[in-house]
Amino acid sequence: MASINLEIAEGGLCSAPLAANEPAVSVRNVSKTFRRTNAQQDLVALDGVSFDIKPNSFVSVVGPSGCGKTTLLRMLNGLIRPDSGEVLVDGKVPSPGPHMGFVFQSFRLMPWRTIRANVAFTLEVHGVDAKECNERADYYLNMVGLRRFADSYPAELSGGMKQCAALARALIGQPRFLLMDEPLANLDAQTSEFMQIELMKIWRKHQGVVVMVTHSVDEAILLSDQIVLLNPRPGRVAEILDVSLPHPRWTYDVRAHTDFIAMRAYLWSRIKQMVANDPESEFFGRDEAILAEIARR
Amino acid sequence: MVKQVGAVAGSSGLGSNGGKLHIGIWHAAVFLAFILIWWGLSATAGHGFLPSPRQTFNAAIRMSGDGTLARAVIESLISLVCGFALAVVVAIPAGMAMGGVATVGAVLNPYVDALSSMPRIAFLPLIIVFLGLGYEAKIFMVFLGAVMPILINTYAGVRNCDAELIEMAQSAGAGNADIFRKIILPGALPHIMTGLRVGASLALINTVVAELYTAVSGLGGLLSIYGNSFRMAPYFVVVVILAVIGMILMYAVRLLERSVTRWRIERPW
Repeated sequence: MASINLEIAEGGLCSAPLAANEPAVSVRNVSKTFRRTNAQQDLVALDGVSFDIKPNSFVSVVGPSGCGKTTLLRMLNGLIRPDSGEVLVDGKVPSPGPHMGFVFQSFRLMPWRTIRANVAFTLEVHGVDAKECNERADYYLNMVGLRRFADSYPAELSGGMKQCAALARALIGQPRFLLMDEPLANLDAQTSEFMQIELMKIWRKHQGVVVMVTHSVDEAILLSDQIVLLNPRPGRVAEILDVSLPHPRWTYDVRAHTDFIAMRAYLWSRIKQMVANDPESEFFGRDEAILAEIARR
Repeated sequence: MVKQVGAVAGSSGLGSNGGKLHIGIWHAAVFLAFILIWWGLSATAGHGFLPSPRQTFNAAIRMSGDGTLARAVIESLISLVCGFALAVVVAIPAGMAMGGVATVGAVLNPYVDALSSMPRIAFLPLIIVFLGLGYEAKIFMVFLGAVMPILINTYAGVRNCDAELIEMAQSAGAGNADIFRKIILPGALPHIMTGLRVGASLALINTVVAELYTAVSGLGGLLSIYGNSFRMAPYFVVVVILAVIGMILMYAVRLLERSVTRWRIERPW
């Protein structure tokens, strides 16, 4: 069991104690195949994926459906192991725990627990006493702006609030790594924009490594230092892009920045191309079909 | 898993005080109508077939005066409470074991299906042979009636646990014991409560059946005595008392259900 530093640090994420030139996360030639019970073929989720993540960086994993994004995130957490290749986090094989905050798309709050008790769960299962759990939960609820909902049940909260609570639950273990699986995909457009700013601020303040899986190209550019673009079926690294937009990004209109516009257009054209060439996608060949239609007229 | 609706307890119109009063008036009106229909039927039916509400009331006064009623109620309650408690103590751990350990569930499931669809009365001769005609036999009959619904619902509750919440707990580094205690059990609680409710009503039914068929005692015994001698007024008293016990039992289970699943959207009824 991982030890937990009980002092409330200045923030949620603790910066890595590694030398700056060593990667915080290293994914080496990783492959993973899932057996499908009722399908003819096994599903190759990842095939020879390699990339590094520098300490204190925000990395987004982007790609069409079926490119193994979520599988990759679960591997970084240690929930699943690769069939071949290796995943090293801080130079070690990763194992789940409070040092690895995980935020899910579907919030995953326990409906029978109050928001405070939901947030405290991470500490509770590691034997932290109740008083300490509650104090720390309140601290992190305050940080995500939910202090006055501490005694409410999840059913009483909006989607954005639930995701904030889930974020607090991930941060309460003072994780060195924050892994997020499409954290804003279940929120309405406006709430997700506010949450993006919230995420930027929390990360800027507390540092640490954040890995976010997202479908949204805009979100990926807006938040990340680095974007890992994956190919679908089988999941392979198509390209790794550095985002050099200046920080802090909530102080100016990032979407109006020429670099943002250029990168967005580029990423979109790549993804569209991947989807149109993926025989298992429902949009397979659609672009050409439309072009042919236009040509006929 | 219970689907959540974005409403807060007490916010619906029926949850307010005015709503409760409204329901109260309706209850009174329906009860009055019931008594009137009963009275009308007893007046038109031939003599001795159906006692009037008044005759039934008088019989109730007589029966509580000489202690017949109190004695029968206590006898029945002993069988009911002991049998039901035994069922709870056996069924909940058994259901958890079946749901928690896949092999146990798969192996025992056919027997559970067989036993749950078998009429309990079929076991009666066997029970009498082994346990005689006293309380033991009656308690065992009650147990047989209540145990299956509680077990099946506990099993279903544990099996239908939320896989997403389990993965969440694993990602936080929770061990299997914590996952069972903090995720699976609370998630199964609404199912277990449903099992208790169904089990409680079957326990009451089986109490009466056991009393009718084994040594005649308790409320079931009274039904048998009055029924065989066509004394319909005291017979009706027993029927009414059974109905009242059933209502109290259900109300108690519902109170328990509400106190342990307070996080669900509350309904005022």
